[in-house]
Amino acid sequence: MIYGFLRRGVFTLLILLAAGSVCPAGEPTELIRKATDRVIAILNDPSLKGPDKTEEKVRKIREAVDKRFAWEEISKRTLARYWKERTPAERAEFIKLFGKLLERTYLDKVKEGYSGEKVLYVDEKVEGRYGRVRVMIVTKQNTEIPVEYRMLKKGDNWLIYDISIEGVSLVNNYRKQFSHILSRSSYSELLERLRAKVEGTETID
Amino acid sequence: MKKFDLELAVGLFIIMGILCLGYLSIKLGKMEILGNRGYELEAVFADSGGLKVGSSVMIAGVEVGRVKEIALDDYQAKVVLNIREGLKIQEDAIASIKTKGLIGEKYVEITPGGAEETIQPGGRIRDTQSAVDFEELISNYVFGKL
Repeated sequence: MIYGFLRRGVFTLLILLAAGSVCPAGEPTELIRKATDRVIAILNDPSLKGPDKTEEKVRKIREAVDKRFAWEEISKRTLARYWKERTPAERAEFIKLFGKLLERTYLDKVKEGYSGEKVLYVDEKVEGRYGRVRVMIVTKQNTEIPVEYRMLKKGDNWLIYDISIEGVSLVNNYRKQFSHILSRSSYSELLERLRAKVEGTETID
Repeated sequence: MKKFDLELAVGLFIIMGILCLGYLSIKLGKMEILGNRGYELEAVFADSGGLKVGSSVMIAGVEVGRVKEIALDDYQAKVVLNIREGLKIQEDAIASIKTKGLIGEKYVEITPGGAEETIQPGGRIRDTQSAVDFEELISNYVFGKL
């Protein structure tokens, strides 16, 4: 009796697993794919080539990427327990500044152009309002870079709240840096440093 | 009469010695006799990098628990952590596997989040970061990384 029950349970599970592996391209993957294709199209756009068009290109990429990112969630997660201490105005300012910092950090690397990296969609997992999409970026030299998009369902939309590249989480990286700064000095000092990075000519590595 | 006292003293001394030995082995072996206090959380890592049962769980370098169990689940490492009683872990906390020093032992570090909700006992730390593989990093460096 119990055995039969168990067997049926395992069988259903197997079917579910099989169904999951047959069609991994669910909604989150589709959304990531769309955003990625859009960015590649912008990078490949011949009318946006040349150094004088860089600004426009960056703006367009930012627009395409913005729709996919839960900026508030990302900022909240990076500030972690310091987020609660901030007023709504401070939060809004932080979200903007942090977005700018990421733009500077990552778009600087991207805007030189697209050099034929392939994006393979590995798999997707959805659990309640959380989802994750795993992607493999293959460079021209055949180096594989695993990237994981961690997503949150907001209404009907899936938004990214963290990106893990080569197993290193973006949120965790900044969370540690920020909490380090905040535990030694003040919030205004952190803002000061963020502003310096965003506006300064120094590049961030 | 006198002989009896001597034997009693020796017996007591030996019992005391055995008790001390027992205490030491429990302390040094980091065992717990009366069940584990605290509660359990689960975290799934793509690579546990040789984490062991009994490894520490730390927040800001302070030990807040231990690894209770490591199992393979869907070709990933499912790690059960025993967290100190009364310590709340937020829903958006991140668990990562770290190495003490360059080649030291592995431990789990939790970076606390800022969410209002906390993870209930038996729940899961959703966001994890696997052990950094130095070999992989070096090979990326040698063969060129983009």
